[in-house]
Amino acid sequence: MLLELENVTIPTLDQKCTIVNNVSFGIKEGSIHAIIGPNGSGKSTLAYAIMGLSNYKPSQGRIIFNNLEITGMSITERAKSGITLAWQEPARIEGLSVRKYISLGIKDKENIERRVRETLEIVNLPPDKYINRFIDDTLSGGERKRIELAAVVAMRPKLIILDEPDSGLDVIIVEDFLTIFNKIKELDMTILLITHREDIGMVADYGTLMWYGDALMTDEFPKVMLKYCKKAGLKEFCKRALFKNGERCFSEDYIDKIFEEGDL
Amino acid sequence: MSNIKDYPEEILQSLEDYKIDIKDFLPGHGKGAKLLLNFNKISGIEQVEGIILKGREIPNGIVADVIIKEGTTHKEPIHLCFGVNKQSGIQEIFPRIIAEDNTNVKIQAHCSFPNADGLIHKMFGHFYIGKNCNFIYNETHYHGEKSGALVAPVGYMYVGENSIFENNFNLTKGTPGKVKILIDIYAMKNSVIRSNIRAFGKNKNDSIRIRDSVFLEGEHASSVIKMKAAAKDGGEVLMYGVTEGNAPHCNGHVECSEIVLGQGSICRARPFIRAIDPTSSVSHEASLGRFPQKWLDELMAKGLSEEQATDILIEAMLQEETKL
Repeated sequence: MLLELENVTIPTLDQKCTIVNNVSFGIKEGSIHAIIGPNGSGKSTLAYAIMGLSNYKPSQGRIIFNNLEITGMSITERAKSGITLAWQEPARIEGLSVRKYISLGIKDKENIERRVRETLEIVNLPPDKYINRFIDDTLSGGERKRIELAAVVAMRPKLIILDEPDSGLDVIIVEDFLTIFNKIKELDMTILLITHREDIGMVADYGTLMWYGDALMTDEFPKVMLKYCKKAGLKEFCKRALFKNGERCFSEDYIDKIFEEGDL
Repeated sequence: MSNIKDYPEEILQSLEDYKIDIKDFLPGHGKGAKLLLNFNKISGIEQVEGIILKGREIPNGIVADVIIKEGTTHKEPIHLCFGVNKQSGIQEIFPRIIAEDNTNVKIQAHCSFPNADGLIHKMFGHFYIGKNCNFIYNETHYHGEKSGALVAPVGYMYVGENSIFENNFNLTKGTPGKVKILIDIYAMKNSVIRSNIRAFGKNKNDSIRIRDSVFLEGEHASSVIKMKAAAKDGGEVLMYGVTEGNAPHCNGHVECSEIVLGQGSICRARPFIRAIDPTSSVSHEASLGRFPQKWLDELMAKGLSEEQATDILIEAMLQEETKL
């Protein structure tokens, strides 16, 4: 496993209750692993705890990355060890050029220009049109998300956490993002995808279902999605939506059986 | 007039920190008009069609005229380099800049004092901008890395009807020293004023006080003043942004953002707005403090330390808006 969470509990800031309760699961190297669940289930909290943000420190448990315990490490140390995160709503830092922003995490300082251009192409932004622009409000939400994605991909980390990359994007752009995720995977990077949308999650190999702070299941993504639908009582949605590469993941009979028998 | 070969390379080198091409300032290079001052001696003047540059040496500096003839449009900026290579001394400059009607030009002024340690630089300038002009004035300062300089420029700018005036003042590299700047801009009917001030006080030697004032004197005149500053490790910055709406339907805004870092640093912002016409509209906003934690986290997640992330954010905040 590239990343392992062992009995991780994350409290609220006032420590009076918990947002994530005793969660354990692992993420395989080279995979796309999605964490799904309803709003407020602790998905983003888990992502921020893995990245090491100061308000999301586990009160118990361990986080192991690449066989090294990182629970007490700073954000910078985690980033240097190979973890990074693309934010759901990245800031618009007026005055910083796209070139400079994408180059911030590139270690190979001799080939910065080439890497920046390559990475802009990966996220489907023409380099000549974007490289000299500034990270300001002239960029749309979708452009800003692509630039954020480019900035983390340019680092060539081992693990990229994508926090709701689909939020605020229209359907066509979401489709484009799915092809980008596969390009990133081909570069030997592992993706941890935080989402509450089944169409985004379907790009994932594996998944974990978060349900009000608990990790209910970790398995192949379609099975996790089926569990999610069952918990939410969405049998018809499940029959209509669970397709991968154009093929139905489960027969309608199997879905009926799962919903009736209480298995999974 | 001395030979341009004698012009101190060190003064010109400091321009590179502001991403300005040194060659553009040298007579015989580039296409723009230029005036070079080496301490109190004029090192070179180059004129182009439609632009008259004149300078006269006085005991502690020069009196200079820049006249842009009616209808003149130039893409290449007019370069003014007021350099001093000595540690100390007094340099006084009295420029008079006149842009006649229907002109479209940029001026790039650079005040470079790379070895300053007790140097005094004073300026008393007047700008007269005619009707229907598009005028950009960029001024960058570099006061070396020792204790900086004592710098006290005063500028009065009169902007005519239907003209656009953009003022960009940058004091973000090196150690500024003691700086006191006063800018008064008078905006006539339908004129548009954009004034961007950026300053960075890096240590206890640095005390920067800037008053940037716009007086909206003509109907439908409008203005935006943006003042951005950072004070670090004992540096002190006061930004005083003033806008008065003195005419019908005029519209002005003042914005001050300052970041304070390290022990003993002080940032102060004092936006002052006044309206005497009921149809005018003037607003302000000011913020002081540190960068949002989320911004720092975003940069640290790319492998930067908190200090490196802060430096990047300061650099971004103080980025020059106008590129030549």
